[in-house]
Amino acid sequence: MIASLYVEGRTPFHRLPAGAKLLLLVLVGIGLAFLHSPWVLGGALVICAMPYVLLRLPFSETRRRLGLMVLTVLLLGLATAWFESPLAGLVACLRILALVLLAAAVTATSEIADMMAAVTRAMMPLERLGLIKAQDVGLALGLALRFAPEIAGRHQALVAAHRARGLKPRWCHILPALIVLTLKEADEVARAIDARGLRGHKASDR
Amino acid sequence: MSSRDLVLIALFAALVAVLGMIPPVTIGFLPVPITAQSMGVMLAGCILGARRGALAFLLLILMVAIGLPVLSGGRGGLAILAGPTAGYIFGWVAGAFVTGLLAERMVRESQNGPRQILGFALAALVGGIGVVYLFGTLWLAYAKGIALPAVLIGQLPFLAGDLLKVAIAALAARSVMVGYPLLPQRG
Amino acid sequence: MGQGLRKPLLEEDDVVDIRFSACSLSYGERRVLEPLTLDLKEERIGIIGLNGSGKSSFARLINGLQVPSSGMVTVNGIDTAADPAAAAREAGFIFQSPQNQVILPVVADDIALGLTSRGIGKAQAAEQVGAILRRFGIEALARRRVHELSGGELQLVALASVLVTEPSLVIFDEPTNQLDLRNRRKVADAIHGLDRPAIVVSHDLALIADFPRVLLFHEGRLIADGAAAGVIRAYEQVAA
Repeated sequence: MIASLYVEGRTPFHRLPAGAKLLLLVLVGIGLAFLHSPWVLGGALVICAMPYVLLRLPFSETRRRLGLMVLTVLLLGLATAWFESPLAGLVACLRILALVLLAAAVTATSEIADMMAAVTRAMMPLERLGLIKAQDVGLALGLALRFAPEIAGRHQALVAAHRARGLKPRWCHILPALIVLTLKEADEVARAIDARGLRGHKASDR
Repeated sequence: MSSRDLVLIALFAALVAVLGMIPPVTIGFLPVPITAQSMGVMLAGCILGARRGALAFLLLILMVAIGLPVLSGGRGGLAILAGPTAGYIFGWVAGAFVTGLLAERMVRESQNGPRQILGFALAALVGGIGVVYLFGTLWLAYAKGIALPAVLIGQLPFLAGDLLKVAIAALAARSVMVGYPLLPQRG
Repeated sequence: MGQGLRKPLLEEDDVVDIRFSACSLSYGERRVLEPLTLDLKEERIGIIGLNGSGKSSFARLINGLQVPSSGMVTVNGIDTAADPAAAAREAGFIFQSPQNQVILPVVADDIALGLTSRGIGKAQAAEQVGAILRRFGIEALARRRVHELSGGELQLVALASVLVTEPSLVIFDEPTNQLDLRNRRKVADAIHGLDRPAIVVSHDLALIADFPRVLLFHEGRLIADGAAAGVIRAYEQVAA
């Protein structure tokens, strides 16, 4: 139900490891903040857009992924041009768009499992500091993906139940019921995790 | 962290993802449609408390980062976290934390209904609007070079809808406290 | 179901030893289980009683999900209070609603998690997952999304996810509660054909009717203990 934004393909960007792409994105994000010349930023935009352009996504797909954001960037750029200077507006637009397009390409060329592995590796220093357990992060992510469709189904059932009784489904009625029904499951799911020994380190924490 | 906390955090992140799939509502006098998802910040803080609420949103951001379209309108991926509105999204973590911190201190299970609703509303107002807008503003104005007046004016159309969300979230949080209390309480 | 599952395969070393010594359980003021001393060694044990009689708590005490308020429970010599994690490894537990114990989105990933979280490598885990899916005749479910499964399929996946870790015994908490007739039969077959001891908490009296030992709980006390037929008669009197 939650379909990934990954796009199959064999572009050079697909072949880069996910961790390297994430690191590249962070470095480019920092680097762009130091550039102020519209000519240099324009060049950066062209370079950053290349991996995304090479994906050859249909226009409708690009609009779905980035349309709203590009619109926001343009509006904010125009407003900045009005309040400060046209140059400031242009610089802000170029800088944001360059990073956004590069980020969109990283997302489209990296599979969820590879991203997850990269994130888990990135968290190992935190685990060594005793702040989190990387294994728990993976488990929490799996749980969220497992139960999101059930929660969506429950939401639809609540809306249907309201309609069946001739009531208009309102957030203030549906939300509490949805939340209570969802969170009440937590006890049993937690017991199952402990009973199956899925967190290794302990069976019960109560 | 107990397994129960871990599961509560994951279920709440999933719930917020589901809130993003509910179509936005247009209300007569409001200029922009309002989405249920950002109400999740207020709800997470008021229902799970500071720590678990903030962790639920960290998990949501992780889902966005690895490329899952869990934000309202099917948005997701790193582009969102690099884009103009990323400040608000990172602000959700801090917002849920502050909302929870205030709710844990102001709301007691022994209080009467109106008192609890008022406490939740105050917590949601400060954490869910104040903190989130602060992060969003700082990000746009200082990290992205957008003119500050443009940022402030751009936010105005959303403010009315967010105030409405405070009211709904406070009512919902109070119902949940009656039905299934989870909020840690501190003096 | 594979035919191999139908015949009991228990051997000497499959027998377990569960001991309750003056074990009681309370939630705050409320006594859920009166002090109980008991030895369980049979390969099939049924647990029956009215709602709220303490039978589920009794089952949870065996794998360390609950620890006794007083006294002690040991499973194959492991004190459940001292090492609940070890007790949980010894006694697998199948919950009433399988939808809450299958916790990853894809069937094979969920089953593998029980192995990888115990430090078993990915390749070996995949092999064992394949074997257990074949054993239950549900290979076709391997890459399926959990939320698309039927109740009966979910119950079998839950059972596979527990059995893949090779517990010494399996506890079932009302396993046929929410199933239609066909799925009930599948699960009943799986329980009867299980190659290791099973403890079954159930309202489904037909499921336990041929068990060598059945315990009847009533208001937190064990009031009957013996072969199925006699204990079921006692239950009918209590329920009347």
